[in-house]
Amino acid sequence: MLDRLVARAAQLPAYGELRWHANHSSRIMMRKGVLLANGRSRDGGVSARLYHNGAFGFAAAPADDEATLAAVIAAAKDNAEFAGGAAATGPLSSATGSGTYDYRSERPPLSAEERVDIVRRLDEAIRARYPGLVNVDIALSSHASEKILANSDGAATCSFVPRAALVVSMSVAANDGIVELYDILGGFGEIEDQSFDAETIAPWLEELHEHLRRKAEGGQCEAGDHDVVLDSALAGILAHEAIGHTCEADLVLAGSVAGDNLGRQVASEKITLGDYGGRGPDGKSSFAIHVDDEGTPCRDVAIIENGVLKNFLHDKRTAQMLGAEPAGNARAFSFQDEPLVRMRNTCILPGADKLADMIGAIERGYYLKRSTNGQADATSEFMFGVNCGYEIRDGKLGRAIRDTTISGVAFDMLKSVTHVGDDFRWAAGGGWCGKKQMIAVGMGGPSIKCRVTLGGRG
Amino acid sequence: MSALSDDFLDSILARAKDAGATAAQALTHRTRYFEIEFDHRSVDLVRSTDNETTTITLFRDGKRGGATLNGRRPEDVEAAIAAAATAAAAGVADPANDIADAPSLPASDHGPAAPDRAAMRGQVDEFLASLPARHPLLRLRDSLYTFTDQETEFANSRGLRQRERRGRHGFRAMFMAKDGALTTSFNAVGASAFSPFASLQEAAGVGRLMAECERSLERRPVAGKFVGEVIVTPHCLMGLMPSIANALAGPALLAGSSPYKDKRGERIASPLFSLDNAPRSEDFSAGADFDEFGVPTRDLPIIEDGVLKDFLIGYFFARKLGMSQTAGARNSRVRGGETSLADMIAGVKRGILFSRFSGGAPNDNLDFSGIAKNSFYIEDGEVRHALNETMVSGNFQQLLQDIHAVSKEVVNFGDCAYPFIAASGVTISSK
Repeated sequence: MLDRLVARAAQLPAYGELRWHANHSSRIMMRKGVLLANGRSRDGGVSARLYHNGAFGFAAAPADDEATLAAVIAAAKDNAEFAGGAAATGPLSSATGSGTYDYRSERPPLSAEERVDIVRRLDEAIRARYPGLVNVDIALSSHASEKILANSDGAATCSFVPRAALVVSMSVAANDGIVELYDILGGFGEIEDQSFDAETIAPWLEELHEHLRRKAEGGQCEAGDHDVVLDSALAGILAHEAIGHTCEADLVLAGSVAGDNLGRQVASEKITLGDYGGRGPDGKSSFAIHVDDEGTPCRDVAIIENGVLKNFLHDKRTAQMLGAEPAGNARAFSFQDEPLVRMRNTCILPGADKLADMIGAIERGYYLKRSTNGQADATSEFMFGVNCGYEIRDGKLGRAIRDTTISGVAFDMLKSVTHVGDDFRWAAGGGWCGKKQMIAVGMGGPSIKCRVTLGGRG
Repeated sequence: MSALSDDFLDSILARAKDAGATAAQALTHRTRYFEIEFDHRSVDLVRSTDNETTTITLFRDGKRGGATLNGRRPEDVEAAIAAAATAAAAGVADPANDIADAPSLPASDHGPAAPDRAAMRGQVDEFLASLPARHPLLRLRDSLYTFTDQETEFANSRGLRQRERRGRHGFRAMFMAKDGALTTSFNAVGASAFSPFASLQEAAGVGRLMAECERSLERRPVAGKFVGEVIVTPHCLMGLMPSIANALAGPALLAGSSPYKDKRGERIASPLFSLDNAPRSEDFSAGADFDEFGVPTRDLPIIEDGVLKDFLIGYFFARKLGMSQTAGARNSRVRGGETSLADMIAGVKRGILFSRFSGGAPNDNLDFSGIAKNSFYIEDGEVRHALNETMVSGNFQQLLQDIHAVSKEVVNFGDCAYPFIAASGVTISSK
């Protein structure tokens, strides 16, 4: 397939990419012992994207024979001409990536029965060990993105990037209603590469249940501005939502406040934050990328260095518009999707502080342990949900809090950072980011002591 | 009875039987999609895609397994049938697992079959040309004018056959305002309709939202913390209603986590609040004539004058929970009321016009907390200023009870329709 795409790409009438792309996924989901999902899916095809006068034409179809390939190239050309770009622009970056990056598991594949058994045994173990639960959800899922890409500048690459996740959710009845808590295990690789059996993860389940028990006995947090310690499990979503999105160059071009702050101090000197190719600075992220979907080889991008905003994230077009070099951030979710400016492995680098010292330094505040969903904004105002946390009183952990949302203006909040932990961690299970298309991302960081706004009725 | 377009699904069912299925079903979506993407300067992408996805579900001795493929390559079809068969063999037997026995509907056809691309392009060009005069400070990104033609076919081994086609236009605008160093939050709106939008400037209330966006360059938080009133906009409701609908649906009832699980026939909302599920409504271009089990959908009231009339129960959960099937597709409509938006605002002593919720997903108890984005402070019946760094916290069960006005104005988004609702008892706070 790569040879066919390379040959066709060399004959494109303008700059363009050809991509064969298939997503493979599976999901087994059990609720209270009832199997609600048990299946696999595959979604694949070919696409062509051509550049004409500053605009793109894109076309895709669910096959990969020569006739289909010729048809999508012709349709992309028509679409590019129909887009009728505003004017001729300068050349796009022609840096070309190459290579094969195949992270398929080398272990023997688990049978369908073995996969269902992982979930069934976990369900039985949890319900036997914790009989008072109102509900137990267990979801075992996998996703792999398989791509073959060539562009008219000579890029030629293949990749297979998998990851797998196990999500366990428990619910219990409290005095004032149902209280739920979930957590995620897994990350890079296929299900075969993970250890999801009930015995191995028993300590993790015990911890999850203990946090749930304490949460059910806990209360609403006090709304307002507070000193907090964000656990390393939250640092990834902070890096992603608070800073990463605001520094995507398409958002900068739209007017994001990051555009007014390049070269300025936007965070404490303790903060260094980047978006990394490969599997991140430690090679252990839940996601891998070496060549992006425009054929650009991936380089690391220092977004904030010692508190100073240094760089934005680009695709070829935004780089051309802002006079930068793309570093491999153009990514597409499926064969039907065009590449967009996306994050890859985004993280805050660790510092030297200890988690216990951070908690000990707070007289009255909160220790926030786990996040749910998050959202960013052009103003750098971010939010993310928190489903597990504790009060801090006089430097010690107190009662648990119920679900809340934290928010802040990133370029203000990051200046309030006084401690950066030595306990770096990638978000378990990997993250998903929605921006026209969904995309798999890695995100991580250390514990951080800072000041944020909490929502709540307390 | 629906005539399928060819024998593709029948051949899948036959091969599923050969693979050991005691029953089987197959659902195909054939989609042709056309998109013009633009920012405030110009069109930056034109995209057209074709796809055909087929979900095969095999049943074997009360167990169920599935596989989804796209395209029709024989080796992919064979692999999908084999994967569904092995998944079914590995599954957990449940008496609720079965295919449906329901009437086959006549094939239906909704909306245009193909877009008028030149006309769509003309509308986008006109929209962009007039934008600087209408909203000089506005910046658009990732905004779309689209056309989707989707044909859906269903077959099961009990002889049920369904077929429908929907052609619909879609519009999405994502925008912010910028004036020097002043920047607003992003806002976004999207809607679909069978016909081309008469005016992109007014589609789904975008004109009002763009004007509000430009008035949001100067923002400040509310002072301190108070329990006040909220006027929840249709656009904000679009983000909030799925949490309430989920609490009324089969999965939450099975979990036992729904606060409404024992409330059928009881008042769970203000008498001013009525919620219908209306997948057959001709107003909803993104409706559905039948569900994923091939069962014909129907419109019915879920909450009527504040009383919970029915849950949202699909085919499997109806069998599992021993309840009647009420819904296999979801298209929510909150009925309009008798108060104008202007009168609602005039009646607010202290509160906010709550235009977008950016917060953590509400929990099972329907507690919520999040930022009030694109929102405005109201005091003594007047909209005073745009908000930033302001959080709202409350509980949806209580919020539904505390509704005291529902607007005459209703925005139809193509898959749902909502009015403005006014309610009290929400905690509004800043730093």
